[in-house]
Amino acid sequence: MKAPAEGTLRGISTFLATFGIGVATYIAIADSGGGTPVCIAGAHGCQTVAESSYSHLLGIDVAGFGIAGYVLLLACALLRGDSARMAGFALSLVGFGFSLYLTYLELFTIDAICQWCVASAGLMTLLFATNATRMLGYVGTDR
Amino acid sequence: MSGRSGREARREQRLREEEPGGADRRQKLIKPASAAAFLALAIVAVLIVVSQSQNGGGDTELEGVAEVREALAGVPQNGMALGKPSAKVTVLEFADLQCPVCKGYSEEVLPQAIEHRVRSGEAKIDFRNFTIIGPESTPAGAAAIAAGEQGRGWNFVELFYRNQGTEGTDYVSDQFLTAIARGAGVPDIDRWNGDRKSGRVLREVAASTAQAKSLGFTGTPSFALEGPGTAGLEALGTPNSAGALESAISSAG
Repeated sequence: MKAPAEGTLRGISTFLATFGIGVATYIAIADSGGGTPVCIAGAHGCQTVAESSYSHLLGIDVAGFGIAGYVLLLACALLRGDSARMAGFALSLVGFGFSLYLTYLELFTIDAICQWCVASAGLMTLLFATNATRMLGYVGTDR
Repeated sequence: MSGRSGREARREQRLREEEPGGADRRQKLIKPASAAAFLALAIVAVLIVVSQSQNGGGDTELEGVAEVREALAGVPQNGMALGKPSAKVTVLEFADLQCPVCKGYSEEVLPQAIEHRVRSGEAKIDFRNFTIIGPESTPAGAAAIAAGEQGRGWNFVELFYRNQGTEGTDYVSDQFLTAIARGAGVPDIDRWNGDRKSGRVLREVAASTAQAKSLGFTGTPSFALEGPGTAGLEALGTPNSAGALESAISSAG
């Protein structure tokens, strides 16, 4: 199957990474202000997840790692060449893998679902699919 | 955008056709791409190991972690006070974390008062240590105050009660307290560890115990109230039901 044009893949990645920066920044700001992200329809899952000890890694809010990841993925989407393709693939694989772990924690350890975290996990999944397609379809095609 | 994408697609097609060594180049890039994927998976594994070790392999060994989180979700916490800081009525609860009667009270009486009077913003409940069971009550109370300094004081207290051991069995170890703190969601365990052993926090435990005695209390849990309807802080004793506690809160407001 032929991969979509690389420009299209880069455009999709740019949009997803920008959206991801927004989601992760909201979670980080809500948490750093002593509050918690607000779930839609009055659900308490966001507060439960944010108050869990799993919401911090080495004393840093996990959303901070998310912001850094999305910024780097945005840079990879904007840059051309094999290095950007491979870095985008590797970074999105890290993000996708860690999102899977966090979703597992929400479902089976914390027993609560945070809608913002689910949104971020969805974005990471799409970014992984986009970056994997870009790498498999276009790595080594430059002159 | 579509014109640009079309141009890029044509350029990529042309490059593939013009470049006889393209397949070789892609072959050469398989190794670095595989290395990148391997590195990414290794980073994920490291992150998971750090997360799990930080949380003692998970807090599933504790009882009631999810229930406590759910019960307190949406209620503000400020230090050891549960409820809106602007609440008209302040309820002081003097309790000992090792006290089985306090555990029963916390599970059977307080939830109704929290749901009806605290969540509505009418009252706030301030947990005060009244250490009467034994020497371990002091480090337990100090650990709760240190958790309160990170916004998880009530999560700590409620989770402690749900995992309370038998009196005199020395169950209140550093390991037990750390597991409770992690289960309660204390964000910075290192800071909590330093705070709970500090002279400042230990003096706070002693001061609240002295305050309970000065109010004439001899057992736990004991309550005192302050609000527009009281003449300062008034000793209430131990209401025998949730209804009695709620009624006292209404009178104080």
